[in-house]
Amino acid sequence: MSTATSVRPEAPLPAAAQPLLEVRDLVVRYGRGRKAGAAPAAVDRVSFSIAPGETVGLVGESGSGKSTIGKAILGLQKVSGGSITYQGKDITSAGASQRRALGGELRAVFQDPNSSLNPRNTVGSSLAEPLRLRGVGAADARQRAEDMLERVGLPREAVDRYPSQFSGGQRQRISVARALICDPKLVVCDEAVSALDLSTQAQVLNLLADLRDERGLGYLFIAHDIAVVQFLAQRVVVLYRGQVMESGPAAAVTEDPKHPFTQALVAASPVPRPAEQAARREARESLGVRTGAAATPGPGGCPFRLRCPLATDLCATERPALRQVGGSAVACHYA
Amino acid sequence: MIPNVAPASADSAEPTTAAVPPRAPRQSSAKKFAGNKLFASPASVAGVAWLAALVAASLTAPLWLPYKTEDQDFTAVLSGPTAAHWLGTDELGRDLLSRIFASAAGTLGTSMITVIVAVGLGTLLAMLAAAAGDRVETVISRVTEVTMSLPGTVIILAVIGAVGTNIPLIMAILGVLISAGMYRVILGQAKSLQSQLYVDAAKVDGVSTMGISLRHVLPGLTNTIVVQSALIFAVGMLIQAGLAFIGFGPPIPEPSWGGMIQGASQNVYNAPWLMVPTGAVLALTVLSANAIGNALGKAPNSTASHLPSAAARRRRTMSVKTAVAAIAATAPTPAGSTAAKNTLSVRNLSVGVDSTGAGNGVRLVTDVSFDVEPGTVLGLVGESGCGKTMTALSLLGLLPSGVSVTGGQILWNGRNLAAATDKDMESVRGREVALISQEPMRALDPMFTVGYQLTAAIRRLRGMGRAEAKAEAVGLLEKVGIVDAARILKTYPHQISGGMAQRVAIALALSGRPRLLVADEPTTALDVTVQAEILSLLRGLVKDTGMSVVMVTHDLGVVADLCDQVAVMYAGEVVENGRTDSILENPRHPYTLALLAADPHANHAADMPERLATINGQVPQPKDWPSTCRFAARCQFAGSACVVPIPLLPSGTGDGLVRCVKADELAVEGLDWVATEVASHHVLNLVETPAVATRTVEKDHA
Amino acid sequence: MELFITKRLLMALATVLVVAVLAFMLVHAMPGSPGAVSLGAGATQEAIDEVNQRLGWNDPLVVQFFSWLGAAVQGDFGISLIDGRSVSADLASRLPVTASLAAGATLLSAVLGIGLGVTAAVRGGMVDRIIGGVCGMAVALPAFWIGIIFVYLLAVQSSVFPATGYVPFEVSPQDWALSLALPVITLAVGGAAFIARQTRASMLEALQQEHIRTLRATATPTWKILYVHALRYASLPIVAGIALQFIQLFGGSVIAEQLFAMPGLGQAVQNSVSTHDAPSVQGVVVIATVVVVAVNLVLELATKFLDPKLRAS
Repeated sequence: MSTATSVRPEAPLPAAAQPLLEVRDLVVRYGRGRKAGAAPAAVDRVSFSIAPGETVGLVGESGSGKSTIGKAILGLQKVSGGSITYQGKDITSAGASQRRALGGELRAVFQDPNSSLNPRNTVGSSLAEPLRLRGVGAADARQRAEDMLERVGLPREAVDRYPSQFSGGQRQRISVARALICDPKLVVCDEAVSALDLSTQAQVLNLLADLRDERGLGYLFIAHDIAVVQFLAQRVVVLYRGQVMESGPAAAVTEDPKHPFTQALVAASPVPRPAEQAARREARESLGVRTGAAATPGPGGCPFRLRCPLATDLCATERPALRQVGGSAVACHYA
Repeated sequence: MIPNVAPASADSAEPTTAAVPPRAPRQSSAKKFAGNKLFASPASVAGVAWLAALVAASLTAPLWLPYKTEDQDFTAVLSGPTAAHWLGTDELGRDLLSRIFASAAGTLGTSMITVIVAVGLGTLLAMLAAAAGDRVETVISRVTEVTMSLPGTVIILAVIGAVGTNIPLIMAILGVLISAGMYRVILGQAKSLQSQLYVDAAKVDGVSTMGISLRHVLPGLTNTIVVQSALIFAVGMLIQAGLAFIGFGPPIPEPSWGGMIQGASQNVYNAPWLMVPTGAVLALTVLSANAIGNALGKAPNSTASHLPSAAARRRRTMSVKTAVAAIAATAPTPAGSTAAKNTLSVRNLSVGVDSTGAGNGVRLVTDVSFDVEPGTVLGLVGESGCGKTMTALSLLGLLPSGVSVTGGQILWNGRNLAAATDKDMESVRGREVALISQEPMRALDPMFTVGYQLTAAIRRLRGMGRAEAKAEAVGLLEKVGIVDAARILKTYPHQISGGMAQRVAIALALSGRPRLLVADEPTTALDVTVQAEILSLLRGLVKDTGMSVVMVTHDLGVVADLCDQVAVMYAGEVVENGRTDSILENPRHPYTLALLAADPHANHAADMPERLATINGQVPQPKDWPSTCRFAARCQFAGSACVVPIPLLPSGTGDGLVRCVKADELAVEGLDWVATEVASHHVLNLVETPAVATRTVEKDHA
Repeated sequence: MELFITKRLLMALATVLVVAVLAFMLVHAMPGSPGAVSLGAGATQEAIDEVNQRLGWNDPLVVQFFSWLGAAVQGDFGISLIDGRSVSADLASRLPVTASLAAGATLLSAVLGIGLGVTAAVRGGMVDRIIGGVCGMAVALPAFWIGIIFVYLLAVQSSVFPATGYVPFEVSPQDWALSLALPVITLAVGGAAFIARQTRASMLEALQQEHIRTLRATATPTWKILYVHALRYASLPIVAGIALQFIQLFGGSVIAEQLFAMPGLGQAVQNSVSTHDAPSVQGVVVIATVVVVAVNLVLELATKFLDPKLRAS
């Protein structure tokens, strides 16, 4: 469903092609009243969609609004504008009870394995919580918790243990188990592997890939590391200061980026091959992207213009619309 | 005096950082917590015993007390302790023992009213404020601020004027006043619990606000609640006694501790003894409650101080004897390069937890050797828990307190830094060896401007005057790529971005013109585009100044970008070192091989594998390191040859050293670390259970 | 910053107003009408009614409150029901006594407490444990008990200090200081222990900060790390603790005044509460609140000034 990335609203899709999740013109502002009006929006008219079974990667640096988008979808962040539709149902401002009805299908894995499980509850009781909320009996819930633990590569006995008895990677497996225990259709993974070491990160990434193939899961995979996203995602959305810069098939975006920011982002990610890295470094330095340190652009125009080597006066006045360049949609006047 | 209308924080480091739940690795079930801590300290055991005895004695008082509280013995007025009156008598000849114990239950009981009201109300308000959002929190916080800035004693007295000496009611109102302080203590923690990711997870499930408060927030508050209850209990008793002392106690013939001290004070000239029994009982009771509170409130494992104790500062980082022994043991090592100026030679370095402390002599780094030539960059790379940072910090003598160098040498310009005192190191730090660390924001002092921190360091390390140092500071900032140096000098660290802060931290490290820069994950906390800029800056500085760098990182890409040499660390030892290109292009050790295979950065999108290679299990805890090959338990190629200690040996073809008996075999056969399906039995090993295999191996070897 | 000060000033004003209402209502809940209180037990009902009428006791509460508040704003708290003296004049003569007591005790607590707390944190080991133990005792022993022991040891047994009484500063500065010494020390024992604990905890936390390592890495001398950087970092919670302590010591002076027969505000509260002297109770509650809130405001501003983050915002 990569066509839904354009900014223009489209005609309603036929039911068969209905996306699993559709985010349209999402705006999130922090704060209240005057403060919120003055500050630039944390998320500024972001649109994308996820088809059933598809993995979409959301990439950006700190402050790009990627986690905020995840939170808005999960109902953890108040939305200021736009809409979020899950299987045709508008969930933009769904309350706790609507979430409860939905929660089984739309779930989350968070970044920090130390805080994503309540240290005072046993693993079993954490896993059972979402099931119990949906009226599953205690014995049944325990059975399912044990099955799920086994599926993520942990012993069934782990149900009676506390999170502190597990390592970071194991805890992240438990978080994955908790997310998948209600047979969801879509899982939002917010920096789900960033806190893990290389070897454990690979284990969890493989696990996520296995489960996707097994159950036809859709993922919204939020990460700052483009290589990690590239491994798991079919489609990538690149964010900068709350706006979509580029979106398209993962290979196109990461191997042949069109937007100057995506180019800078890809070029800055170092590869562990010294000779190739030296060449990449030279290529990066020749891009002419300016440092982001002091650059806070005013409202309107392209948010990247102060760092962009291609920027002109037009970029300061007119926000570039997403347009199709090659396989990707790019928000740049000059891409 | 009426003390502490706001609850005092429990003794130790608990208060300001209270929020974050302790990260102690093996903190177990909530149910065990109270008992363990309570009976860990003799003071709190005594406290529990005293309170229990007091309550029991007081409740059963009518059964055993020798006298009634109003019985007057005119033959023994104001007597000291006698056989008839164990604790003496007051001015009316009433038995002190009887009066003290008879009034105990009432005092304790009414103090409990204060506790229940203060803790109940405070907790309720805090949980409400934490759950209901900013607006509600602001309102509640304002109200409690007003309450806290009231002269509590005066208000209580005015209340007494209105309602009379109705002790339970007064203690309840006191509870209301104290609840404001309680609210403040609890609020931070409740908010931090609300922001935990498991609360987010519950919200995603659709758990109601109330459900989250009860299920996820309240249980996390219990320890604080119990601690504060004990402390408020003590405060309640003291205030109640104080009120009785100034004449607002229970009606006259009825005994009260404060009233009895008041009576004693009238006769302090002729019968000073009278002060002792009641005062002692009151003090003991308050002490008991405080001891219980402090024992429960003690943070299990507080972070280590970055400043060693005075005694530790005088001590050599390693006892001279061990140092000499280490040198003797390593003498045969061809350390010819040590003579060269500005060359760092680390030989057989070991770092361990001090055996006196909690860690009990656990080794964190063992037998690490490497050299850094002037003008080159060495990468120390590995996963967390492999001892990279400890190795780096030992180069500056900046190991956290409780951790020290236990053997080996750090040779630098003719000195062995491993055997230097803290005083000796002061002439090395900053001037010869400098440090930049992972989180630039936290590495700078938030209380002082960038300019102050930079000029102070320049004046100290370079002996410059104020004006000269300021000019130098501007120069340094420009050198690290800061354009508006003059403005940045006037800012505080919190006013600049992370990337900018790291540039400032680098300028600070450069202020003493060091010849060696130790960089501990300097780009890990930064965005990738900023990381690239910082790496370029470091490369330029090495080129311009000819200093050398020891770069700690977990990122093989960073190594490829910046480092000339690399030492791969696993479980506290170097498993492979040599030139970066040869190690990354042609890894010899299976661990290096595996790391590269597991790194998604190592693959292009076009040929991204379906699954990444993984290493089963995780890096073992230092206490579980075997004496054999430490990687064998996770290694695809491990065999019977791996169950002996493996030395770091020159590798057959490359220029470096490798700690693997199969290195040559692997090189010849060109084996790759293959992506394996994670078999569940491999990950079954919980952290708790040390790998069984390694244990048998050790036995065999012995 | 200006906005912050304005906000705080309004808060302070609101606090005083709330207390004024509270005091007014409490006083009206006291047993006995003003007439009955002022005329004593033998008075006739007519006489009592007549006094009540004159004092406006029968007016609606709101009217009474605003007429009282109007006068109070101008510094007139009415006339004592017991001795007929102006409440304002009485309080004006008492305020310096309590203020010197509380200020002296806070100052002494702060000096002693910071000294002990820093020593405990820096020296560690045995010194830390001893200071911790002493502070534990000092917090557990009630001030009135400590005060009596001081009187017994220092005034009765060795006559170093006068046992009781207060000498105004104008009469003899030296005797003023001597007369304050024991009550101030008595009050400061608990206060110092409290501040010492706060200081110790804050210092230890400061020393755990990562920037301490940066300072060591740039060869900063240990004394400077401890007494410039760590203490500066720890200063915010310490000042907050001192502010809290002042509030408590101001209230705590009730006991010291009773113990050492000092004619301060505390004594006034105690007497007026016992005798149901409504105007005095109202006056003293409001004055005490004004003083405490004002000092708190100053110390809070000091805290904000110490914190670069808040100063900048």
